Amino acid sequence: MGLITEKLPGIIEPVPGGSVLLSSMDAVINWARSNSLWPLTFGTSCCAIEVMMASGAARHDLARFGAEVTRPSPRQADLLVIAGTIVRKMAPRLKLLYEQMAEPRYVIATGSCAISGGPFIYNNYSTVRGADEIIPVDVYVPGCPPRPEGFFYGILQLQRLIREGESIRRPGERRKPVLAALPAGITLDQIQAELRELLESKAQVKLGASATAGRG
Amino acid sequence: MSAITVTSLDERIRRSIGADGGASTTQEYFVNMGPQHPSTHGVLRLVLKLDGENVREVIPVLGYIHRGVEKMGEHLSYRQFVHLTDRLDYLSALANNWAVAKAVEKAANIETNERIETIRTIVAELQRIASHQLWWGVFGMDLGAFTPFLYGFRDREKISDILEETIGARLTMNYIQPGGVMFDIHPDFQRKVKEFLTYFRPKLEEYETLLTQNVIVQERMRGVGVLTAEKAVSMGATGPVLRASGVAHDLRRSEPYGVYAKAAFDVPVGRNGDCWDRYWVRIEEIRQSMRIIEQLIDNIPEGKHLVVKPAVRTKVPEGIHYSQVETARGIFGVMLVSDGKDVPYRIHVRTPNFNNLWTVTETAPGWRVADLVTIISSLDIVVPDIDR
Repeated sequence: MGLITEKLPGIIEPVPGGSVLLSSMDAVINWARSNSLWPLTFGTSCCAIEVMMASGAARHDLARFGAEVTRPSPRQADLLVIAGTIVRKMAPRLKLLYEQMAEPRYVIATGSCAISGGPFIYNNYSTVRGADEIIPVDVYVPGCPPRPEGFFYGILQLQRLIREGESIRRPGERRKPVLAALPAGITLDQIQAELRELLESKAQVKLGASATAGRG
Repeated sequence: MSAITVTSLDERIRRSIGADGGASTTQEYFVNMGPQHPSTHGVLRLVLKLDGENVREVIPVLGYIHRGVEKMGEHLSYRQFVHLTDRLDYLSALANNWAVAKAVEKAANIETNERIETIRTIVAELQRIASHQLWWGVFGMDLGAFTPFLYGFRDREKISDILEETIGARLTMNYIQPGGVMFDIHPDFQRKVKEFLTYFRPKLEEYETLLTQNVIVQERMRGVGVLTAEKAVSMGATGPVLRASGVAHDLRRSEPYGVYAKAAFDVPVGRNGDCWDRYWVRIEEIRQSMRIIEQLIDNIPEGKHLVVKPAVRTKVPEGIHYSQVETARGIFGVMLVSDGKDVPYRIHVRTPNFNNLWTVTETAPGWRVADLVTIISSLDIVVPDIDR
């Protein structure tokens, strides 16, 4: 974990007040991390237009989720969005980029190509069948390419994962990957209404609620 | 390409002071730009031979997004191959689809009707505008201005919405197929396109005020990366890159397809072949595309939108068939080698960006690294289209 929790004494359970304080600290740290993801500018093909560019532009506005600070250097980024096909020549570079990122780091695989090879899976000699063959992936966002709303749904799933993720009580717990597919039959208006509602509720910081979530 | 020589610190200090005690000496060195770099528009890798900040040589290294599309095409029917062309140059997906459709129709003697050709022309021109809008935004961002990116995408979303309503996809369309188009146009299509044209005309003036008339932008473009007409032709550059060098070659004019012959439009041509001309040609092309759409949108004839049965695997007679279209970036050609079956024996795609990229080896040497970014951006490359 971070500097604060390591320096703080009393990670051991017995003290009644101490453990409560520490797990609350966890929840605060996780809450802060989940709302300030810094993505790496990394797009190999078509998904980059929808996921990195259209999402970041004015209409969809990734900044609403605190993830608009794209960094060209992996050392400053903590979110790797694999936007596009990974071919064999690119695979070592992708692994290198992932390894250069500092912990904690998160990976979203967007689009069919990054999930499984997508349209380039059959009769093909060059593509990697899914980015998870090279690096661990936290959230899969299906689509070819996913629309920006779909990507936002993936970002929300990742935020949930981070908030419920590692803590002092569960050190180094491996996050289980999730598939963030939009529910079948959902309309664009419904998605936008849900996003609006969510953003309004997110505007207020509810420390009490997230602390309970972190402890559970 | 020679390896970088490792010299000891003493040696380097001695060199920097100079053997003659004062006169400084420099050394050329190599720097990798990419494959992960924000200004290379994807996974392009350029090996730069630098002298200080001056570019001496540019060596593009390709293959970081080679997906074997041509080999895959040998296992797919012609209709199935169309969706792979979406993913080559994803900003002109419709024009790419059209090239395949045109090649198969020409080879298999499929007669399309006027309605199909008009719809194809309108959607292709709409996407040309969308592609140039995106290029304009990214060009501004590469030069260090973030606002154009927001403006360009704001207006591009309008076109995405119109196309999504009819086609069902925002980016990878898979719409134009051999023998017609996949769906008929949406009832609101014509109204919304006209609304867009009236909306966008003043916005284009806004673009000009924001970026074109900016003195810093002009200084960074004028005279930078000059590509002469002879070089452009001999290197096979096409599209706005070629026309900016002063060669008025546009397939829509020189060998008209679709209903381009019916529409009046100009082919903008540059004079010097520098970044400024390439910029100006694209902005002007947006205007001409709007003119074309304006003439056609009210005159979509009645008829069927598909003249073949959707499930039929079209057979192409034996031989070599070639067909090409003008995308937003240049000439996109499809060569089919058929042995009479419903699956091609060999399929080859001629993509505009491959040749356009190679002009950078001519234009960039002598300029600084910051100018190299301007030059690459003015070429408007899409990397999956280069690597195929």
